Amino acid sequence: MKRASFTIFKAVVHALVLREIQTRFGSQKLGYLWAIVDPMAQIIVFASIKALLFGGSMPGIDYPVFLATGFLAYDLFKHITLRSMDAFKANKGLFVYKQVKPFDTLVARTIIEVLITSVATTIFLCIGLYFGFDLEVKDLNMVILGFLWIALFGFSLGILFAVLATFYENFAKIIRLIFMPLMFVSALFYTVESLPPIARDFILLNPVIHFIELIHGSYFPELETTYVDFTYMTFWTLIPLYFGLWLYKRSEQKIVMS
Amino acid sequence: MIVLENVTKYFKVKNEKRYILKNTTLTIPEGVNLGILGRNGAGKSTLLRMLGGIDFPNSGRIYSDKKFSWPMGLAGGFQGSMTGRQNVKFVCRIFGKSQEEIQEAIAFVQEFSELGKYFDMPIKTYSSGMRSRLSFGLSLAFDFDYLLIDETLSVGDKHFKDKSKKALMKKIEKSNILLVSHAMPTLRELCDAGVVVHNGTMHYFDNIEDAIKEYNRINQ
Repeated sequence: MKRASFTIFKAVVHALVLREIQTRFGSQKLGYLWAIVDPMAQIIVFASIKALLFGGSMPGIDYPVFLATGFLAYDLFKHITLRSMDAFKANKGLFVYKQVKPFDTLVARTIIEVLITSVATTIFLCIGLYFGFDLEVKDLNMVILGFLWIALFGFSLGILFAVLATFYENFAKIIRLIFMPLMFVSALFYTVESLPPIARDFILLNPVIHFIELIHGSYFPELETTYVDFTYMTFWTLIPLYFGLWLYKRSEQKIVMS
Repeated sequence: MIVLENVTKYFKVKNEKRYILKNTTLTIPEGVNLGILGRNGAGKSTLLRMLGGIDFPNSGRIYSDKKFSWPMGLAGGFQGSMTGRQNVKFVCRIFGKSQEEIQEAIAFVQEFSELGKYFDMPIKTYSSGMRSRLSFGLSLAFDFDYLLIDETLSVGDKHFKDKSKKALMKKIEKSNILLVSHAMPTLRELCDAGVVVHNGTMHYFDNIEDAIKEYNRINQ
């Protein structure tokens, strides 16, 4: 008896997620630690820079918490997009089983990143509680929406990039290059409000900044989501998703054979 | 039954199309064990991959309502950083086996592949012979209508070869095989019918002996 395609899809994604957990973190438990240490290091570095160079902090806001919320979301987005881009190549050997579609590897990697972020968030919350940071959330639902949406945004770009990277060798390199300065123009250590008006118009062209502002503005009672443009975010999510899926559908067989 | 309908398959080599099949229409009848013969590079492995659903014709179509295994070759679809056991689990999961069935499969493959402590070591530490033993053992743990085998039988020591052949003989009481091989004795022993892939065409012979004769003819 043949199984329905959705049943197969679920079984494959489940198997891929388990497999990815085993291989990503490997036999050394260091891998798990890294998922926490990486964002933690970023927070410590930038919190120190801010304290040493600029002094003071945002009134009413614990700056490390501000950094943590932004970096967790930003890293989630970055990891989904970049790891999706490599997913086909990394899982090539598994396409020998016709049940395993390249698309499934993207879904599995996205699920993994969401899981890692959930675990990291939980640990951060515990650390925050221990050190007595102010963890009060203004609008928890909007914060969760922000995280889920940025994950979907990452997936949209991820599928498009993954297909393009299969056919253009240098594509992945260019994307990686773009990601390097992206961190500095995504309102991770400042708010859009704090920028001069002329800089705001430019920086708001970056779609990522809208997600970070949404999360910051919904998290902290002292901040607003004035600059968040939901239409712009929707376009940036749906257009790459549409083209990504369309290109994928056209080239699925080629990806399996390549 | 497997039907090939106007199947064309080529590879582009330096902008030149090298045909494996050119507008081939062919029906492979129900219940035969088929040997696939052809010279090196004729496209036997590609044909096997197409039957396994992981390679695709440039035009035309191949269809069948049977369940095919993955092509068992020397490379094998394994993740190098995972252990033999983990890979077996992975394949069981994608085929939707229950927890209980997975345990059974693991026990079977572990016993059959004779990997010893290597069963719990990363696949990248395996020799190619060990890989194909795992791959072969794994495929026996499933019930397919057709087993796709690419030269796997030619690896391993004599003891393992005999054991594989015996296991295969037992398996083909219920399933069929599509076997790519250059070893005529193996083909004679396991296959009823044969196809010869040559110069973009594919000839089907009801009797494996005729296929072998044709193969010998084109080799002269």
